[in-house]
Amino acid sequence: MSAHPDPFRQARASSCGMTVHVDGEPIPLVLDLQGVRRAAKDWQAYSSANPFHITLQSEEALRNFRQLPIETDPPDHTDYRAIVEPLFRRPAQPDYAARMRDIVRRTVDEACALGTLDGVLSFALPLQSRALALLLNVPESEADEWITWGIRAFDHDEQGPSKGARLENYIQRQLEHAAGTPGEDLFSILHRATFRGRPLTYEEKQGFANLVFAGGRDTVIHTTTSILAYIAEHPAFCPQLAADPALVPKAVEEFVRVVTPLTAITRTCAADTPHQSAGGRIGLCWASANRDDRFFKHADRVQPDRAPNPHVAFGFGPHSCLGASHTRLLLRTLLTQCAERGLRIQTLEAIPNVEVFDTFSRPIGFSKLIQRWSAQQEIP
Amino acid sequence: MVFKWLPLNTTGRSIVPQIIFETEDGQALIVNTEAEHLMQAALDHEIPGIEGACGGVCSCATCHVHIDPAWTELVGPPNDFEAALLELEDQFKLCSRLGCQVKLTPELDGLKVRVATGAS
Repeated sequence: MSAHPDPFRQARASSCGMTVHVDGEPIPLVLDLQGVRRAAKDWQAYSSANPFHITLQSEEALRNFRQLPIETDPPDHTDYRAIVEPLFRRPAQPDYAARMRDIVRRTVDEACALGTLDGVLSFALPLQSRALALLLNVPESEADEWITWGIRAFDHDEQGPSKGARLENYIQRQLEHAAGTPGEDLFSILHRATFRGRPLTYEEKQGFANLVFAGGRDTVIHTTTSILAYIAEHPAFCPQLAADPALVPKAVEEFVRVVTPLTAITRTCAADTPHQSAGGRIGLCWASANRDDRFFKHADRVQPDRAPNPHVAFGFGPHSCLGASHTRLLLRTLLTQCAERGLRIQTLEAIPNVEVFDTFSRPIGFSKLIQRWSAQQEIP
Repeated sequence: MVFKWLPLNTTGRSIVPQIIFETEDGQALIVNTEAEHLMQAALDHEIPGIEGACGGVCSCATCHVHIDPAWTELVGPPNDFEAALLELEDQFKLCSRLGCQVKLTPELDGLKVRVATGAS
């Protein structure tokens, strides 16, 4: 968290903008907050129904089915999203919050017992995985397997990302299990679901499950580690939260704004637009929008009490992040427990995770974060 | 229109505004509230359709309401942050406000609003 530069500042202020080139394809970025919001909302002009091409880097190498619901537009998107929305609304339930508190408490306990740990692999990864098990309503023991995958859901080899056989095999196993013994988990919901009167195809089920694993993994992990680094750099922060718990939700919004773990998402132009010709892609640059100084004073500073804070770190419009409520609860619970326990963290070694494209690079979280943890109080 | 009075969560403040929330399915839920903002009053009484996902920092518009015409002048117009968000909402009207940005005062006793998030 110590360095949170804004690589889009100059381009946002100039009339030239910024274009990223990915495999020879020019992708102009929309950089201002209101422009990003308008484009995200206008799915007729800026379509999300372009499988494998909603991230700057094509995901054709990672899978051969479309992710759902995100790689569709309304009205298909609306109907697909409705299938899983009830599962993603559960974080509002008191029981869900209680179980989240338990997960965070145990994971913090383990980290404190270790004393010195890598905040990425020994804290953020297990925390994200266990919390995901809660979200998907599967036994927490499933997280043990996910933890062995590391921070990326897809396999990587020496040549880079490979077709996601590991994840696809896992999803296949779970779908087969759900077909045999259906319950109330994600896979059982997909097994039972219908889309306009017909059962989901196998590819559609894969598309839902794949997005759940891919979309909320490194994003949550990088935000978590950024918070850990901030706590280490600002020893007064946890006592400040303890003295004013109402600060917690605001602080979470500020962390997700500053980190913005998903830099951009792309849309495909249905017709010629001011940004791009028909058929071409544009990038909705959440990371730039979240530093727009017309809306965020001292935008590069972390101000935990920032309000208003009209960020778009969870996206905007019909395709906004399904997991936002879950992530907010996870991070709020984490900050609350850090405050209640008087957590003290010292960073011993930090290697930023850096995303690099031809026209910009930006740090997002850490690839390694060696820290020493201690808590002043135990939570029963 | 179905009217339902919801119980007061009181801490003893002498003047407690009464708010009427009209939900998208046509119920009128009447609450007496000590909340600081309209969004919090809705959350405290679990008003259907009001999620307040971002905690009240003007990021999500899940506390969008339409202010009853009789009350728009007293409530006042949206601030710049709020207006930029509201103008992109499907149910935007000139009487739109975000509940998180409407501070409740004794003068707003009797305020009537309609939930406009499209979520209930």
